[in-house]
Amino acid sequence: MNQNHGPLFRVVKRENTRWYHLAVSYASAIAAALLIGALLLSVQGVPAGAFFRDMFSLGVIGSKFAYKNVEGFIRLFIPLLITSVALSLAFRMRFWNVGGEGQFIIGALCAGFVAFRLDALLTSLAGESWGDAVWGKLLMVVCMALAGFFGGGLYGVIAAVLKVKYGTNETLLTLMLNYIALYLILFFGETKASWNFFLSTESERPIFATFPAVAKMITLPTPFGRFSLNLSLIVAVLICAGIFVYLKYTKQGYEIAVVGDSPSTAMYAGMKVGRIVIRTVFLSAALIGLAGAFYASSAGTLSTSITNDVGWTGVTVAWLSKLNTAAIFVSSLFLTVLQYGSQVASTSYPTVDANFAKLLQGVILFAVLAADFFTRFKLVGRTKAKRQEVLG
Amino acid sequence: MNQEYGVFTLFLFNIVVYNIPLLYGTVGEMITEKSGSLNLGVEGTMAVGAIFGYLAGNYANSMLVGLLVSFVTAGMCGLLFAFLTVSLQANQNVTGLTLTTFGLGLYFFVGKGLGADWPAMQGAQSLTGGFAARPIPVLSSIPVLGKALFSHSLLVYLGIAIAVLSWWYLKHTKAGLRLRAVGENPGAADSVGVNILQYKYIHLVLGSGIMGLGGFYMALNMGGSFEGSNCWINGYGWISIALVIFANWNPVYAIFGTMVFGFFNVLQVRASSLAYAFPELLGWMSSIPPQLYKALPFLITAIVLIVSSVNKRGSSGAPAGLGLNYFREER
Repeated sequence: MNQNHGPLFRVVKRENTRWYHLAVSYASAIAAALLIGALLLSVQGVPAGAFFRDMFSLGVIGSKFAYKNVEGFIRLFIPLLITSVALSLAFRMRFWNVGGEGQFIIGALCAGFVAFRLDALLTSLAGESWGDAVWGKLLMVVCMALAGFFGGGLYGVIAAVLKVKYGTNETLLTLMLNYIALYLILFFGETKASWNFFLSTESERPIFATFPAVAKMITLPTPFGRFSLNLSLIVAVLICAGIFVYLKYTKQGYEIAVVGDSPSTAMYAGMKVGRIVIRTVFLSAALIGLAGAFYASSAGTLSTSITNDVGWTGVTVAWLSKLNTAAIFVSSLFLTVLQYGSQVASTSYPTVDANFAKLLQGVILFAVLAADFFTRFKLVGRTKAKRQEVLG
Repeated sequence: MNQEYGVFTLFLFNIVVYNIPLLYGTVGEMITEKSGSLNLGVEGTMAVGAIFGYLAGNYANSMLVGLLVSFVTAGMCGLLFAFLTVSLQANQNVTGLTLTTFGLGLYFFVGKGLGADWPAMQGAQSLTGGFAARPIPVLSSIPVLGKALFSHSLLVYLGIAIAVLSWWYLKHTKAGLRLRAVGENPGAADSVGVNILQYKYIHLVLGSGIMGLGGFYMALNMGGSFEGSNCWINGYGWISIALVIFANWNPVYAIFGTMVFGFFNVLQVRASSLAYAFPELLGWMSSIPPQLYKALPFLITAIVLIVSSVNKRGSSGAPAGLGLNYFREER
């Protein structure tokens, strides 16, 4: 190689990132996505302005059933928020948990199991009326949540244990486990048999049965007319706040930060790296399982498409937010607006697919990933570099 | 056709016809991974190649245009991946997953947007003709196996040719050796003067282009009919990622692996007819849930992944630098 003529410029890591770099990069990423979206819409002859207005207003304006839209929006928002926060825990230690889909499904399945079996058990013990009592509903929802929590957690911890013990590639393993879980729920959803209590007994075709009324998520009445608040939203926000505190102010949170920064430093500091990884991944997967349980309980039934791609979108959200818990709250809110909004808007424009949000989401993340480069690195020109060398 | 071929021949025939896209996807991902990049965007890349290749081929009424456009559009996905992860040092997992999200979004947007204007495959003689079976003269007259293995469309032969050629390229050429060096240890390769940037870019684009051809095959195999709810690719991209591991990063093993995974795929559809045809020998097959057959490729791959990591004997074909970005100043 010719030593005298280096490349025109070289890439150097920035020491510190300024907040306005971030602000500019995010604003331009969103603007770019909307611009490309508008361009694509107008190619199809759809008025982009009107489409975006429907999208960002979530169809609430002028609707008699606006409260239904808000409830539907919240139902989508809760799983995405919890899953993204949970994924960020694992990502902080550079553990690539892309198994959110699978952990969500297992959580939902476990919750479904409890919903049907616990109801049957208590009905046989205490009679039909057990579910009418206040303690009944609370007991049921808590049991479902616990089942989802431990189900998802144990499913996710498999990859962590193998990674720690044998160095198994966790990205690929959690990916495979997603599909194993998917076919498991398909198996329960499509197999007509006397033992299969997941299915409706009334229908000839295999359809998931609706949960007993007692297993439906608790909703709280609000002063806003018929709108009622899903209890799991409050829990989700509390989890979000809890994780923020956990990461920032506890010993375990500090351990996660050190392991994520440099596993060898952690080891020399006397931390049990393997144990920290396993513990954190368990928590990550368990929270995703919990989200699955909440969603199943809110929907009142299982479904083979229950995840709504939350395991994948969660990765996007966590990364958009740079694993920052507060930013995750904002990004997951924003992406839910895109998703739910494009669903709503696409009903009035039949040529636009509901997956339009995915396209926008992809463009936004591409733009952010690209802009990220300029917040992490800077380009140093040849002459300047030389001068620095001379001075240095 | 059923009577003429017999159940067994038809079974073998279907394994090949329905699963060749897996081979394209797998070989494409192998070339990608050999350069040290884990591209999780196979599903999206195949979807992009499929829809644009099909539309272009249909409008131009030309098989060649279809192949070319699917290769180029999918290759552009690879280029985007390369630009973000190689030049801009973005995280590979996130970029790959985003590519899938984006590709599927684009697929549905274009397909649904065309609506009633969607072109039927019957309208393009070149596509229907090009996808028709071309029996290989002597080999196809072998009883049972001839019809099953040597009487396929040109795209099937092309897929197998690409796999063999890729194997030869990786194993027996200087460029292939350098590529493997880049994937194993980019720092070492860089120090002996291999142009890392160039190698990564070329092979990421090439690999994605090959995936796109697989997407094009799927489009034709589905008769070119767009369904609003299901993507043509239908998870084949993810199975391809699994197959790369199963085939131990060897394109020739990938041919064998495609047949094994294809066997389960077809079994799931054909189990009941096999059980019906041979009630005494295979009667038990109808009692196995079809979801198990679908899950088997992933289950087997998970086991392969775990077993190969438990006994590390250096026989794994996984590139040591897989999934890690290369930043020269931290060499």
